[in-house]
Amino acid sequence: MTDPTVAEAWVAGPLRRLMEDARLIAGVLLYPTGRAVGQFGFSNAADVMSICALTSAINASARELGRQLDGKPFYEMHHAGAERQVFMARASAGAQEFLFVGVFDRESSLGVVEIYFGEFQKALEKLLPEKQPAVPGPSGDFEGELNRSLDALFGPIGKR
Amino acid sequence: MKAVSQVVATLSRVPGVIAAMVVGASDGLIVETSAMLGGADGAGDIRKHTAALGAYLYSKATRASHAARLGNPAFMRLEAEHGHICVVGARDVVLVTIVTPDANLGRVRLDMMTAAKGEA
Repeated sequence: MTDPTVAEAWVAGPLRRLMEDARLIAGVLLYPTGRAVGQFGFSNAADVMSICALTSAINASARELGRQLDGKPFYEMHHAGAERQVFMARASAGAQEFLFVGVFDRESSLGVVEIYFGEFQKALEKLLPEKQPAVPGPSGDFEGELNRSLDALFGPIGKR
Repeated sequence: MKAVSQVVATLSRVPGVIAAMVVGASDGLIVETSAMLGGADGAGDIRKHTAALGAYLYSKATRASHAARLGNPAFMRLEAEHGHICVVGARDVVLVTIVTPDANLGRVRLDMMTAAKGEA
């Protein structure tokens, strides 16, 4: 297992603990806008870029679907593949919302991931810095925002 | 095959059983659960966590048992300071009980294994 790489240092501890306790193979923490905050298990910025874009889009669709079907947005989603499974959920710390997507296999289980995700969420609440880094809202420059966050995780293009 | 609710009801009536659950073996999620005897605060979380980690532990114990060429584990009991967690596998589910320290473990074991045979 590799240590998480993060754009905001305060999420490194909770991410590492979630990765180890829930025995996740890979995971990405991001803002709902698609900007990556931290990741583990990926060595390629393009993979994280795709995951951020897809997770952000899936969250937006699922949120709206939940609202229409159940009157409130869905909180988490789970996809069980033949070998690997994907867990996707929203986490909030203060007023700030995050999305998390994690990948696991038979070494873990959905129940175990849910437990440690709950602890991860509590850790985010506890460790949220009083003065948060400015998180720009969606500016319309989705690709630019995504690239800037990937630079923070993997280094600028050309040095990756 | 007995209905899972009937299995849970039967196990929860065994003296010393604080909570009885039928849990998905692969996902660790609760299929059916009894109320928590004594109605402790956060009983939902206690059962949810015990179910997920109990099923996880049982899957690891199964691997250890296979590695030692002993076949499937018949019964797993974790003895802790304030009681026991008992787990028995029944194909796609595991039966998990939280038991008081002074419970008749022989009775708990027998009833869980009988219930598991009905489930399999």
